[in-house]
Amino acid sequence: MKSRLREEFYKTGRFKDFPVYDLHGHMGSLCAIHFPAPDADSMVKSMEKSGVKMLVFCHHAALLSPDIGNRANIEAVRRYPERLRAYCAINPNHPKIIEKDLQSFDRYYGNTYVGFKFLASYHGCSITNPRYESALNMAEERKLMVLLHTWGSSDLCGPAQVRKIAEKYPGARILLGHSCHNAWDEAVKLTKDFPNVYLELCAVLNDRGPLEKLAGEADTGRIVFGTDLPWFSYNYYIGAVLGADITDETRIKILSSNAEKLLSEHIEIPS
Amino acid sequence: MKFKFFDANLYVGRHAKTVYKPAAEAEELIKEMDRQSIEKAIVWHIAQHNFSPAEGNAMLSAMIRKHPRLCGCWTILPPQTGEVITRCFFRDMKENRIAALRAFPDIHRFLLNRTVFGGFLDEVSDRKIPLLLSMEKGCSWEGVYNLLEQYPALLCILCDIGVWGTNRYTWPLLENYKNVYLETSLLAIGHEQVEAAAKKFGAGRIVFGSGFPERYPESSICEVLHCNLLDSDKKKISWTNLDSIISGVRL
Ligand SMILES: [Zn+2]
Repeated sequence: MKSRLREEFYKTGRFKDFPVYDLHGHMGSLCAIHFPAPDADSMVKSMEKSGVKMLVFCHHAALLSPDIGNRANIEAVRRYPERLRAYCAINPNHPKIIEKDLQSFDRYYGNTYVGFKFLASYHGCSITNPRYESALNMAEERKLMVLLHTWGSSDLCGPAQVRKIAEKYPGARILLGHSCHNAWDEAVKLTKDFPNVYLELCAVLNDRGPLEKLAGEADTGRIVFGTDLPWFSYNYYIGAVLGADITDETRIKILSSNAEKLLSEHIEIPS
Repeated sequence: MKFKFFDANLYVGRHAKTVYKPAAEAEELIKEMDRQSIEKAIVWHIAQHNFSPAEGNAMLSAMIRKHPRLCGCWTILPPQTGEVITRCFFRDMKENRIAALRAFPDIHRFLLNRTVFGGFLDEVSDRKIPLLLSMEKGCSWEGVYNLLEQYPALLCILCDIGVWGTNRYTWPLLENYKNVYLETSLLAIGHEQVEAAAKKFGAGRIVFGSGFPERYPESSICEVLHCNLLDSDKKKISWTNLDSIISGVRL
């Protein structure tokens, strides 16, 4: 299938008619992997090169080092307010930190945070655990984005757990990070049953086929692009979106307009 | 600058499990290569992996016969059982235009070491025949380390190296064995991983691979086209390195 976008990106490495948004990023080093370029400066440089206007991320330190916590997010957004927004990390093993972060949430809402990130499988605590409730209640009230790490085979953050959350918090914008990886039928079903569920493509794009399935069966207005930056490369993942057997119109929704709609519920997107 | 690609890592044939729109025949593969500006490829048949190395090798040879853009790759098994490695093995390789070998020790239940392969892999090293090892299909890092310790001159292309940046595994090999290469189909997934490997060890140690049909060739291609390296380095990765490896094979 001929694609104008494919030709353009091959030639220039970006798109001139629309900005790309990345709704699933991280930042900083991590024990199990060597990242050559995990710092904010390198990440923003890659964004600029590939025409990515804004990244919503959650710093590895915020997720995995309670001693540092969400200040890693706040400091990075302060340095690049035009490019970055953060998900406030919720670590259910540290309820006092959650309480404190929620108390100060208003100060950072919009200028720093647009929602929350849950990393249930790493934290060893199901997304249905009551310890997430205070954050979910806030998300429900304010229609915040909640990026869940989801995986098909997980009983902490698999389709069954997502279903409970999506049903109980219809106001929250529930982003399924990795789209319940490998449980594609269930992921599609979740989008059909709940209008507040979105599919995010990080790791989905590693293989040929799943994106064709999701875009063929789910509402293409609820599929969003994400890279886990500094894990994965923009060129590689945009290349996958271009390689998938979908239309340019769907590609633009996935790479740009769906995320723009979500973000504009919380921030004025810098021009 | 326009780049042409020489693909180290794609296969033909239908996987026993579900794989999205594979190329069942060589003609379909060529069509896909044309779409991707992949001019040449080292191709293997998936049956070599999940059905039978001997029969898969034969299926592959038959398929590439009429297609000079496809160099063949056979899968080896321990010489002792005589299933694949026979007395005329290298002559047969030449006759069938086979320029590379693969091994899947963990799936095919053998050890890839000197006890098993003895002088055979010395000869493979001397003849500069590349051995392609897929880290996602039947090879462990420990296995690769043991193999290279015993055959340090082996020309080894590490394919499908994994989605979790594997520098802690690959960089010591690149540092210690000058004939080890990395293939891009998963190296390129990592943010600035191609650049990091090229800056540390030289772009001469990286060869392009698409991972088709399991991965989108566009992914690896876009990373090679737009990574932060000089065009001269991109050319090495997209074409020259693999082209030199294949022209250096002595059969
Ligand atoms: Zn993530």
